[in-house]
Amino acid sequence: MAVLEIILVIFLVFSALMAVRFDEELISIIFLSIFSLILTALYLLHKAADVALAEAVIGAGLNTAIFMSAISQIRHGDSD
Amino acid sequence: MEIPTETQPEVEILNKLMKKALVSFVLAGVAFALYRSFALMPAYQGLNLGLSNYIIESGLKDTGSLNLITAVLYDYRAFDSLGESTVIFGAVSGIVLILSRKMLPVSSKGLSFIVKRTLGIMTPFIALFGLYIMSHGHLTPGGGFQGGVILAAISIIFSIVYGSAFDYRRYSPQTKTALETGGALTFLGLGLAGILMEGAFLQNLGFLTAETGTLISAGSIPYINIGVGFKVGAGLAIIFYSMIQKTFEEDF
Repeated sequence: MAVLEIILVIFLVFSALMAVRFDEELISIIFLSIFSLILTALYLLHKAADVALAEAVIGAGLNTAIFMSAISQIRHGDSD
Repeated sequence: MEIPTETQPEVEILNKLMKKALVSFVLAGVAFALYRSFALMPAYQGLNLGLSNYIIESGLKDTGSLNLITAVLYDYRAFDSLGESTVIFGAVSGIVLILSRKMLPVSSKGLSFIVKRTLGIMTPFIALFGLYIMSHGHLTPGGGFQGGVILAAISIIFSIVYGSAFDYRRYSPQTKTALETGGALTFLGLGLAGILMEGAFLQNLGFLTAETGTLISAGSIPYINIGVGFKVGAGLAIIFYSMIQKTFEEDF
């Protein structure tokens, strides 16, 4: 379990850094979604099922959709 | 009357100085207040586990809820949850006020036939899962908030896969507003029932308690969960909907 936890934490930091690093908003959003997914697995490893469920639903699901719609509005304004 | 088009350089410098002085004054005030409140804090004496031990020992006996997190959220600290849902209500109201338009949004025709049929089969199960998470909050992990967001995800799926007009025709904004208000009123009504029957706001209703582990047990917790779930789900769907509304206004 400890090895799995270390691997997950490494990927967590990696995805967070990638989300900040890229200029393209779409890639950043995808990496944020991956970040939330890894965080869900970590919460589940620590036996916090309620928080894991909230993180999966809000972080990986809802946030991505809302960010996507915001991004599409920005693109729409730019192309005009 | 002559309107000065350009401020004098001396005045500008004075303005900047005034601004800097004001900012540093406010910062100093905040720092002083923070220092005073931190100085009041006692030194670290190890974690005080009295309250959590109490909840772990007698939470099941007090509330009848197997899931202690739900017991804390909707019984011991139900007033905090009421504050949370008030925050969501304020956010929804603000976003609708700023972004909402009175027009039928028509997006693209949606995704391909295969995706539409697949989601058509999957959506009822997603809804069932959301309702399960909502209604079994006192028995298994989850609760009103998480289940409500799953229900909001269905609205998002409809908007993306079938085009946003489909969601508008199926569940109009009026329906969503009614659901949100109904959920909030359920929560408040159970709180007021607590005053009338048990003597305190949001006190767990004793007469609803049944055998522990059954679906209809734990007093008013399942009903509060369902109310919060519909409130949160409808609120988040309204937020997503008013954001997408503006996006496709030119795609008629």
